[in-house]
Amino acid sequence: MPSHNPSVVVVIAAYNEASVIADVVADVVEAGYRVVVVDDGSRDGTGPLARAAGATVVTHPINLGQGAALQTGFDWALAHDADAVVTFDADGQHRVADIARLVDTLRSRAVDYALGSRFLGSTVALPTSRRLLLAAATAFTRLTTGLAVTDTHNGLRAMTRRGAARLRLRQNRMAHASEILHQIARSGLPWTETPVTIEYSAYSLAKGQRMGDALTILVDLFAHRMHR
Amino acid sequence: MIAQVFLSVLLAIVLLYAVSTLRKAPVVGIAAILTAMCGLYLVWFPSHATGLAHLAGVGRGADLVVYTWVVISLLMLLNLHLKLRAQMEEITRLARAVALAEAARAAASDTMPPATDTAAAERTERAGAVIRSLAEAPGRASAAPS
Repeated sequence: MPSHNPSVVVVIAAYNEASVIADVVADVVEAGYRVVVVDDGSRDGTGPLARAAGATVVTHPINLGQGAALQTGFDWALAHDADAVVTFDADGQHRVADIARLVDTLRSRAVDYALGSRFLGSTVALPTSRRLLLAAATAFTRLTTGLAVTDTHNGLRAMTRRGAARLRLRQNRMAHASEILHQIARSGLPWTETPVTIEYSAYSLAKGQRMGDALTILVDLFAHRMHR
Repeated sequence: MIAQVFLSVLLAIVLLYAVSTLRKAPVVGIAAILTAMCGLYLVWFPSHATGLAHLAGVGRGADLVVYTWVVISLLMLLNLHLKLRAQMEEITRLARAVALAEAARAAASDTMPPATDTAAAERTERAGAVIRSLAEAPGRASAAPS
């Protein structure tokens, strides 16, 4: 895998991530990727820090949620001739080396979506409560989308230009992870899972989803169905 | 009699509301119209209400009317919720368009003297502050750590 790959755009959605964003962006930029940080209305200077670290920054004037930020990133990437789009979490839980693995998978397996899975790969310091929550989320998503994924709420994904163009995220909040899978299922395009490593730190755990969010996500998804 | 008139007025308002939403949300509209009509009928024929209430296993007719009212309120609430969601989607598209346009403008002016950038950033910041203050009014944005 060439270390310089400007045709790949790495989308990082960030909301008040000032303490980590610069390091995360610098790592990805150093690996030769174009980085677009969607600053989701942060008030802690996340945007300028990301820009100084070498990212293009698109700033939401108000906080809209991670799903909306990712969609903004996709729109930017598609408008800037990306051949592949990668979503990457801002909190530093992903490894930059996994980006190349996912993008390689798109080519070698001829799929439009390569989804990172922590359960195929290795996980560092995953607490049991989080593991149970993720297992429940996975079971629910399998049931509703028919996609036999092992990890539904992994923020690390790669997709081809064609794949990214088929996504239209309308769930602004956390339910977007399930929504992406729904839309992948509906697109009928080929997909696969690729093992990735997630490093749990106190910081990423504090920012991650908790039990209470699960109910919010269910309500979001349900309301969304009613609406259509 | 006073109660009957009062309830009739309220139900008439619901009826008007239901008719007005008929085009946007037909299911909600029709359901609300039917429920309001039933409510009106029962307000004016309480004896029928009592009969119906007994049929349904509810003690008094008045109780049945109250329950009807509760159902109507819930339907209106649901309809409002759906409207709010639709509105949030519009806001999202607007904010996204603003963000992307601003990023494109900033990229285009990268070659220009930094003074231009600062002025534009101030403008953006001012506009952002106005929009933020508007968005925060309903208290729905997540709390930012200070």
